[in-house]
Formats: sequence, structure tokens, C-alpha cells
Amino acid sequence: MSTIVLTPTPDWHRAVGIPRSAAIEYPFGRPLGEVGDKEGQRKVLLDTLSVLEKAQRPGEIRHLSFTWPEEPKETKWQPPEMSPLIKVYLDEIKAARKAKG
Amino acid sequence: MSAAEKIVDGYRFLPPSLAAWVQTFIPNENFSEAIPWTPLSKPVKQATIALVTSSGISMKSDPPFDMEREKREPLWGDRSFRSIPREATEKDIDANHLHINTGYVLQDINVMLPLTRMKELEAEGIIGRLAPTSYSFYGFQWQNTDFLTEAIEPMCKNMKAEGVDAVILTPA
Repeated sequence: MSTIVLTPTPDWHRAVGIPRSAAIEYPFGRPLGEVGDKEGQRKVLLDTLSVLEKAQRPGEIRHLSFTWPEEPKETKWQPPEMSPLIKVYLDEIKAARKAKG
Repeated sequence: MSAAEKIVDGYRFLPPSLAAWVQTFIPNENFSEAIPWTPLSKPVKQATIALVTSSGISMKSDPPFDMEREKREPLWGDRSFRSIPREATEKDIDANHLHINTGYVLQDINVMLPLTRMKELEAEGIIGRLAPTSYSFYGFQWQNTDFLTEAIEPMCKNMKAEGVDAVILTPA
């Protein structure tokens, strides 16, 4: 079976090797678009199907042109409570930001 | 496609500290080994297509994904999967996921698993057919390979039985 992944994280795909990827700059949990936006969801789906049909080589990543209408802080994609994983690694996560400067 | 110019920033929606941490796991080098490749066997307008999402959706009639064990064991993620029939709507589903806000998919299943949109494309002849069954699993699989045999294999077996030619995957 042929596969296409509609992904908000193309950097992972580049690093781990995924057959075909359509990258989208949408918040986690809503890769097709906003609640109730039938036309917007349809456009994303059509572009994803286009990548499925047109991709020529293993590992191909095509970047879709869509732009989310809200600023990142307004998207509220995160869970209401901090995830168990983040709690475990919180010190490491804070250190990663300091190390990056 | 209208998409050629934009380069997607996969870190844009992450808080800066989380973005910095995630980047420590991602090598700068591109993947250099062989990547599996199955050519599309027929045009999309003739293909049977299934959807797979990692967003923790389950039918209300099925058991939900196990969040309680993950709360006790933060590196463990439920490795089971659920079948989602093509007729399912947001009224029929639960969604459990400790890493995203599940409120949106509960309002509109199509933001994550676009069953309704696919059926519209089927009716218009743009795709051949939406498969009878789509699938959901729990995306948090931390250093775990049992998931391949416990979830991926049975999903693939069922897809083949339903004549699926191609799969659209939508990670949460």
C-alpha cells in the first residue's frame, strides 16, 4: 500500500525516512484545519492527495502553502494538563532552551 | 500545486523550551538508509483509500485508550489500535490523548480524521473510494517496537482484506 503522511513535523520526517510527506504549518491536533472549515479542510486534503499521486522518490517532502490564521500562542493546542513525559523531563527541557541561548 | 514556495516551520507552534528540547533529538543529517517505497498502483480517482490517525480517537462503543497507566508510567503509551467505520462522526467518538488538546476533534472529527471530507471527494469522483474502515492509535510510542506487531500488523491485514490501495496518515 502507498502511504502519505500529512505532518506538522517535517524535520522528523527528513531525519527518520518517511516515504511521502505533505508538510503543513498547522497546530498539533488539527492538521486538516479549523473546526467547521469544510472548504479549508477540503483544500488541505486535495493537496495531500496531489502529493500522494505526484511524489516521485522515497523520502520526498512537499511543503503545503497554507497559513494558520492565529498566532501560535492563540492556538491552544496543548492539553489542559502538562503531559506526564514533560513533567519527567521538565528540567532537561528548560536546560535545552538555556543551552540554545 | 500552489505549495512550492513555503517551507513549513515544524517548531512554530511549540513553546521555545520544548522546541529546543525536541531539536536535541533530531540529527542534522538526512536519513541515509533505504526508505520503503510502494508506487501508487492506480490513479487517486480509482484508488481505495483508508485513513489512519495517531490522535487517540476511539468509538464510544469501544474501550478508550488507557491514559491512567501512562500517568503512572510516563514513558509508556497505549499500544493498541481502534477501528473507525467510515460512517463515524464526532458524535460517535471519544478522544484521549495526554499530549494535545482533544477538544477540537470532539467538535469536528474532520480536523484530524477527515471521513466526511473523503466521502464528499468519493461522491465527486475525485477519489475512487473511502475504505469501509479507518484506524486510530495512540501516537505516544516512546522507544517501543511491540506496537508494530500489536497494532500495525493487524491494521495492515484488515486494510488488505478491504482492498486498500493507499493510506493517508494524520499524526496528532
